[in-house]
Amino acid sequence: MSTTTPLLELRNVHSYYGNIQALKGISLTVNEGEIVTLIGSNGAGKSTTLRTISGIIHPRSGEILLDNKRIDHIPPHDVVKLGVLQSPEGRRIFPRLSVRDNLEMGAFTRNDTAGIAEDMERVFDLFPRLRERANQKGGTLSGGEQQMLAIGRALMGRPRVLLLDEPSMGLAPVLVEQIFNIIKEINSQGTTVLLVEQNALMALEIAHRGYVLQTGQIVLADTAKALSENEMVQKAYLGVE
Amino acid sequence: MNPRIRAGLAGGIFGALITLISVDQVVYLAGMLAGTTAGMMVAYMEPQKKWLDGLRQGIQAGLLGGLFIVIAKLLRAILINPLIGDSTDLGGQFMLGLNGLVIATIISAIFAVIATLPRPQDLIGRYAMVAILTLIYPWIDQYFQYRFMGEVIPVLVFVLMALGLNIVVGYAGLLDLGYAAFFAIGAYATAMVASPHFGISLSFWLVIWIAAAVAAIFGVILGAPTLPLRGDYLAIVTLGFGEIVPIAATNLDTFSLSILGFKVIDNINLTGGPKGINPINRPYLPGIGAFQSSQPIPWYYLILIIMIFSIFFILRLRNSRLGRAWTAMREDELAAEAMGINIVKTKLLAFSMGATFSGFAGAFYGSYISAIFPESFRFEVSVMLLCMVILGGMGNIPGVILGGLLIQFADRLFLPQLSNMMQSIISSPQVQLPSSLSFLHELSFASDFRLLLFGITLVVMMLLRPEGLIPSERQRMELHADEEPVVEQQQTEVYTARNQETV
Amino acid sequence: MATQTVDTSTTGRNIPWGLIGRISLVVFFVLFLAVPLWNTILEMIANPQLLLRQLIIGLTNGAYISLIALGYTLVYGIVELINFAHGDVYMIGAFMSLTLIGLFGLQAATPPEVRYPLMLLILVITMAFTATLNVGIERFAYRRLRTVSRLAPLISAIGVSFILQNVGLLWGYLRFPALNGVMGSNAVAPKSFPNLLPTQNLLEPLQAVFGEGFRVRFTGKDLIMIGTAVVLLGALYFFVQRTKLGKAMRATAQDRDAAALMGINVNRTISLAFLLGGALAGAAGMLVGLYNGTAVFNMGFKAGLFSFTAAVLGGIGNITGAMLGGLLIGLIAALSDQYINAKWTNAVIFGILVLILVFRPTGLLGENVQQKA
Repeated sequence: MSTTTPLLELRNVHSYYGNIQALKGISLTVNEGEIVTLIGSNGAGKSTTLRTISGIIHPRSGEILLDNKRIDHIPPHDVVKLGVLQSPEGRRIFPRLSVRDNLEMGAFTRNDTAGIAEDMERVFDLFPRLRERANQKGGTLSGGEQQMLAIGRALMGRPRVLLLDEPSMGLAPVLVEQIFNIIKEINSQGTTVLLVEQNALMALEIAHRGYVLQTGQIVLADTAKALSENEMVQKAYLGVE
Repeated sequence: MNPRIRAGLAGGIFGALITLISVDQVVYLAGMLAGTTAGMMVAYMEPQKKWLDGLRQGIQAGLLGGLFIVIAKLLRAILINPLIGDSTDLGGQFMLGLNGLVIATIISAIFAVIATLPRPQDLIGRYAMVAILTLIYPWIDQYFQYRFMGEVIPVLVFVLMALGLNIVVGYAGLLDLGYAAFFAIGAYATAMVASPHFGISLSFWLVIWIAAAVAAIFGVILGAPTLPLRGDYLAIVTLGFGEIVPIAATNLDTFSLSILGFKVIDNINLTGGPKGINPINRPYLPGIGAFQSSQPIPWYYLILIIMIFSIFFILRLRNSRLGRAWTAMREDELAAEAMGINIVKTKLLAFSMGATFSGFAGAFYGSYISAIFPESFRFEVSVMLLCMVILGGMGNIPGVILGGLLIQFADRLFLPQLSNMMQSIISSPQVQLPSSLSFLHELSFASDFRLLLFGITLVVMMLLRPEGLIPSERQRMELHADEEPVVEQQQTEVYTARNQETV
Repeated sequence: MATQTVDTSTTGRNIPWGLIGRISLVVFFVLFLAVPLWNTILEMIANPQLLLRQLIIGLTNGAYISLIALGYTLVYGIVELINFAHGDVYMIGAFMSLTLIGLFGLQAATPPEVRYPLMLLILVITMAFTATLNVGIERFAYRRLRTVSRLAPLISAIGVSFILQNVGLLWGYLRFPALNGVMGSNAVAPKSFPNLLPTQNLLEPLQAVFGEGFRVRFTGKDLIMIGTAVVLLGALYFFVQRTKLGKAMRATAQDRDAAALMGINVNRTISLAFLLGGALAGAAGMLVGLYNGTAVFNMGFKAGLFSFTAAVLGGIGNITGAMLGGLLIGLIAALSDQYINAKWTNAVIFGILVLILVFRPTGLLGENVQQKA
């Protein structure tokens, strides 16, 4: 997976919430076709990174590049139009819209009705449970189903880069495995993935490369395999004594 | 902008507006007000240590303000006086303007010099000056034949109410849109026990306390349902009560009560209906006799005394545990409750304390006008009071007083004077009004632009300066938090890659 | 720092105020209101034709109240702001439609084939005007304040309300000859609408069935009022439930950040909510102006109060709720006018508002506002 320019790149990004600095000079790259994971404990700044990429927060300094074009100060809806879609932390599906409507919202920026219908079929193929519940209101779904819906919704935008924020959160281990397998499947179908996770074990299993984030700074960057064998990572994040 | 210029500008515009629309003699009052404004502002913005520097800055600001007054006087002499038959002797008008300038400069200088004193002499001196000016005003009014006294007294009543509203909105952070209801309750309570209406005729000095107590009790009654509500819903409910009270007052001239079908009370006239209740007893002092409407001076001093007492009491409240509980509750209700503050008691006390001062105001007002009508207590009044608090600066007393005076001034003096002036101009024989402008005959700034005055005040203040003209430090911090300079957070690194080796 | 003992005793603290409040309310009701209520019901049954007429009036009330209530509910659902000025937008709609009526020279004598198409055109123009006005107000007076504090937009809305009222007051000065005298001779007095709606009783044929004593009236006016409202409400419902933009609006109301992540332009969607609300309010203004034959600068206050109560009754943010609430409040207002006394109706509605907000703030059908993540 080596390409000359990375698909997504962050250069020395500093992000703030009001006066509190959350990201202190983050630099990372995601190459096309990869799964890159960002691991770290609570409050390390993982979600903030994704929110900054998506344009919900604008970095105070630093650059974010998609295909070498800057996207760090454009509004969120433009980021989506360029093909960067997120499945946010906590799922954030629309509780009173039906499953189908939720998916439609994912395709909001698109106009090709045929393509949208096609993609919805694809999502239903990927997540058959959603097809069963297509007309149910999103809020009535279980946690795992909501996570599937969130990912499916993001897929509906035909993303070039799929940002996943803690897909394992609050899910039973069996479901977590299921979700992660599906993520691998999505990636094998050609979608680039930036995966933010607290569950470092699973994340490093499916990722190609990874970064470790601590209090707003990248402290380690390596292939996933190397990270999973790294002593510090093992002690801090993999529960190895 | 240079603070002296700013202060001079503010005072000057104020003074110029007054001068422009008023007759000759008012220029002295304009000078006084301009001087006070300029002097206070310049000292606030650019504090000096040495009295000579203070003198210099005061004179400069005052001169600038006075200059505006002179220009305004001349403009009036040239443009307006010919049309309304006032003096067009430019030399004389210029001299008058100059008098105003002199007064403005002197007063501004005095305030600026006082401000150079160390605290607390500075504060004492400033308040003393304001007190002196306020206390001698009736004589100034009489000397120059202003005849403003009749208007000044209701102004002070409304300022008193604004101070009461400030407790609820400014200190406790509860947006009360129905505050006029307590004014009504105080006034009606007074009317019911100090007039021929029910035949009860108590002395005013007793009644004012009764009215305040009744208002305070209603503060609790009307505040209780709002306890579980937050921000905007609380505002709407208070608005609801603010409307129900005048409606009840209008309709309860035929009040019947039946319990379980049996008529207990049949058709009594409780509130006098739309016609209200009149006459109402006046205060009586041995030596002066009963207060008369034609003699405003005793009323003036009475309301001043009530206000001073109220301000004193409100300050004590603010600096007490209750006041601090209000602040905590305003900032974050949940956190305050977690710290052990009894939110129920704190909120109810805010409403009832606020209502008390409205009760005083209502009692005074009812007695002063010697009549009350439900029309005087409608939503507009509540909104006007809100304007005063917001314009001046929520949560601080000088701000609220200033805001109150400005709004009242604009509403009672400026708009009507503007109206009169315009009417004089267009009815003067020298002016031929084109028929397309004939509607100006009908237009009355006083009544047709009031709502615009209140509305624009609220919108503009919210957009430009939500903390008010004289902000309390805390409000300014609260409202402009995102514009603060960046503070670098030093966080201890618990575990970094660099430290790896040392583990 | 000296430690102080904290008084943690709870004796005498746990007075169940809520329960006391509820019990006092029930006692109050039984002692003072139960018997009069029963008498009123008897009165209603005694004269069924009058009751029927009140129900019809209630329906026409409900028509315009629902239209305005939708504006409140759409806006509150999406930005959690009580748009105080909304009732006054309705009033401006009435005045605008009156101006257009004058401009087009419509009178009672105008033949129907000219009159009705023109009225439709006026309706469209008025709705477009109030829609734009509402969007402008949001842009100018509310948008920037969303981040300042919770209450700043509300205070600004009060200010806008007063500004609009004053505009309504001064509107009467527009006495251009082109307007054919529709503004009357006194600028600030209430204005009269020409009699443009059909007033004959559509139920007259039923006299043949029920006999001469059957005098229930349901006029063409009533039909047009209710019919127009139903059409507009239906169109709005369809838009919100079935179209992409409509769903996007609902999505934004449910979770603003997630909506942004979908590529939905949040600001534009908020403007859309204001646009729709404003259009409906303008339509209501024209309908009421034609129905009652009059418009006055402060008509927005009462209508706004009734409509906001309706929105809260149905469940704030809930679109079907606003329609249901509008209907209910319309009925209650009509019944109160007839069987209690019109001078108390405002207080009754206010009372209902207070009761709902205190005892069941989510309304009948449940509220529909931002999920706090």
